Amino acid sequence: MENMTYVFAAFAIVWAVVFGYIFSLSHRQRQLRREIDSLKEKNDDAPG
Amino acid sequence: MNKALVILWKDALSEFRARELVPSVLVFALLVIVIFHFAFELGAERARSVAPGILWVTFTFAGVLGLNRSFAQEKERGSLAGLVLCPVDSDTIYLGKMLSSLMFMLIVEAIILPIFSILFNLFVFMPELAVIAVLATVGFASVGTLFSALAVNTKTREIMLPILFFPIVSPVIIAAVKATELALAGGSWANLSSWLEIIGTFDIIFLVVASLVFEFVIEE
Amino acid sequence: MKGREIQRSDILLGLSFLLMIAALYLVFIYVPTEATMGVVQRIFYFHVPVAWVAFLAFLVVFVGSILYLGKRESKWDILAYSSAEVGIVFTTLVLITGPLWAKPTWGVWWVWDARLTTTLVLWLIYLAYLMVRSFALEESQGARFAAVVGIVGFIDVPIVALTIVLSRTQHPGPVIFEGGLAASMLLTLLVCLAAFTVLYVLLLQLRISLREAEVEIAKLKQAQSP
Repeated sequence: MENMTYVFAAFAIVWAVVFGYIFSLSHRQRQLRREIDSLKEKNDDAPG
Repeated sequence: MNKALVILWKDALSEFRARELVPSVLVFALLVIVIFHFAFELGAERARSVAPGILWVTFTFAGVLGLNRSFAQEKERGSLAGLVLCPVDSDTIYLGKMLSSLMFMLIVEAIILPIFSILFNLFVFMPELAVIAVLATVGFASVGTLFSALAVNTKTREIMLPILFFPIVSPVIIAAVKATELALAGGSWANLSSWLEIIGTFDIIFLVVASLVFEFVIEE
Repeated sequence: MKGREIQRSDILLGLSFLLMIAALYLVFIYVPTEATMGVVQRIFYFHVPVAWVAFLAFLVVFVGSILYLGKRESKWDILAYSSAEVGIVFTTLVLITGPLWAKPTWGVWWVWDARLTTTLVLWLIYLAYLMVRSFALEESQGARFAAVVGIVGFIDVPIVALTIVLSRTQHPGPVIFEGGLAASMLLTLLVCLAAFTVLYVLLLQLRISLREAEVEIAKLKQAQSP
């Protein structure tokens, strides 16, 4: 690999990992929010 | 301090009566040495260069095995819970358990050393090596006692201990191997000093920190 | 409270973005190519800040763990957990960018020298931190055990520093503090450091709010099953 390619690869991987992590966090956040809302509804519906 | 010695004495007695741990760990250590011999196909010159590493890997694996078993035994007998109920400080319990692990590991190492010397045709009976071994083993015992008390309370205790133990204790292993290399090559105390300093510093720091933090591991 | 939270992370996001653009410019256009190592040396401007931020993350785990063991308030445990996870991500980046710098410079992907080995070890320690939680017998015990690991594990970090100072190995020595950096390089480094620190704070916030949601779900589920 030509040297500049290494620099690019390093940069690209840093961004891939960071974005991947942010993406997985937001995805899970959305999932959990939905679950929380549905659980809260069930709590309200259920007797006492 | 007296109470810690009582714990040490109790552990020594129970092991002396049962004679389970020391023999089994010794056999294991021997197996490790033999396996390494086959794995590396050691001729005389190569043996000299890898010997320190093999010695310390053997000590480390044997140590972890011993730690695992000794706390697992305690848990099975319910004696750990009993200890906690005693009106004794947690750091006294820690000290007692640490001393008994230390004693156990030093005994195993003392027996392995001559066997190692014979199998590798290396003269290892020098004071430098003894000092390295004692210092490093104190490091092993200080970290190991804390983590085996922790690991024994998890779902995967045999796996959890090595996973916690090896990374944390790795500076000690590295320094011990380097120092052993220097010692076997005829190095002076001056050469060894920087590596011994690392191990010594590690020992002090970990003894203090582990004894402080031990109460959080055994609380119920 | 929700409204204010959204604003704060928006500001962080914007700041992070700007700093990253500035860092990009400095690293690829502004800073001159280093004499000995050539173009590849530019990886240094990512590698070093990411390493420092990883250390910062583990310091936060250390402090959070102590506070949790002292006060037993869930928020400290959440802080420690989140910082550990983000710290592992950053350490992974150190371990990836390092070899990418090493291969063209020394010809090998990896050497078992002090600094590299201890970084790998640090990564393993914090992985163990996360594992202890999942393998504990129950939640609060897991949090307690993890806090112990978070405290003891951090002790490794100064030992890393000790080995750096004591070993003259292949890995570049402490050039930065010995004043071996040109002004333009120092500027680039500092801006990159700022950019990655803000990124860390951003990721930490995201992980904390996710973790709070996880904790809330666990509580709701418990309330439902008597």
